[in-house]
Amino acid sequence: MASTDKPTDPEYNKGAPPPPPPPSATVNCFAFDVTLRVLLFAAALTAVVVIVTSDQTKFTVPLGIREVKFKHSPAFVYFVVALSVAGLYSIITTLASLSVIWKPNLSTKFLLHFAFWDVLILGLVASATGTAGGVAYVGLKGNKHVGWLKICNNYDKFCQHLAGSLAVSLFASVVLVLLVWLSVYSLHGRIPK
Amino acid sequence: MDGVRSDVKVVESPRRVRVFDAFLRLFALAFTLVAAVVVGVSKETEIVPITITPSLPTLHLQFTAKWQYMSAFVYFLVSNAIACSYAAASLVYSLAVSSSFNQDAVVLVLSILDLVIMALLFSANGAAAAIGIIGRDGNSHVQWRKVCDMFGAFCHHFTAALVLSLIGSSAFLLLVAFAVLGLHKKPK
Repeated sequence: MASTDKPTDPEYNKGAPPPPPPPSATVNCFAFDVTLRVLLFAAALTAVVVIVTSDQTKFTVPLGIREVKFKHSPAFVYFVVALSVAGLYSIITTLASLSVIWKPNLSTKFLLHFAFWDVLILGLVASATGTAGGVAYVGLKGNKHVGWLKICNNYDKFCQHLAGSLAVSLFASVVLVLLVWLSVYSLHGRIPK
Repeated sequence: MDGVRSDVKVVESPRRVRVFDAFLRLFALAFTLVAAVVVGVSKETEIVPITITPSLPTLHLQFTAKWQYMSAFVYFLVSNAIACSYAAASLVYSLAVSSSFNQDAVVLVLSILDLVIMALLFSANGAAAAIGIIGRDGNSHVQWRKVCDMFGAFCHHFTAALVLSLIGSSAFLLLVAFAVLGLHKKPK
């Protein structure tokens, strides 16, 4: 850490002429960055809240009182955990991104870290969306070949919550893709000179 | 002096990066291709004896497990095929363009596309793994019974394909990570 800190200081002390242009570009990018991260946080929070409140209890004639919960399927548990991690991550990086707006000289290092971690979190959120989507699709349509019955005709509220949550998490992964593009693009913008 | 140093950097370090990049693309190509093929050829037919009552003769029913029967597996196969063809196209593209002028723009475009393909592969892996786990363990809450006790070979095939596809998607992840690092390491 110390070794990476050192080179920035001399470079800064050298008082190179460029500083004036980068700050303006940087601030613009990071304002957009913060907006996207807040969106990501909102999306992750909404997805988690919607799926956690999806439990439904219903009285059906042949089976008596039955309830469906998201906890009954490991796929949905994974979904909740992954989206919670993404939400926490978005809080931390929003703060980090805000701190860069106040102290622009850290920006390149932060951009690099953001780009790395955003890619990982994108993998997490995309796989969670795929996981929950795969199971929810079987719940919606059933599968005749292996005798898995559809459940969405009985538990409408549960399935509506699932669908809403999945749509929001899909939106969250799109936001993450945009975030990585933004980081890559602003890293790329720093090269030409 | 300054010009000489920057020339050396432009010629030397991207070359090594390019070789590594091409190697990773080849790696991703191979793994997603094998994953898609392994799923595509997996088909198992089992004859299951069913006894309804001891007095009646045992029925022998034939059951078949195919990847087409489950939408998550279809999604998995299609995603792997897309990733595989993209890896081939991007490999050719990056090798063909590599000697010409605008290296940075190529890196930018390719890393953006790599990212999208990576997200696609990860979601396909998630979907297939979730269905595979239901197939292995079943889900007693909604009366979905397990099927892997009947179709053992099919499930083993599928597990292998899943592992291969995971390795392939990690290769895409590394590609994006190294592209970002490469952009960062360029002389500023």
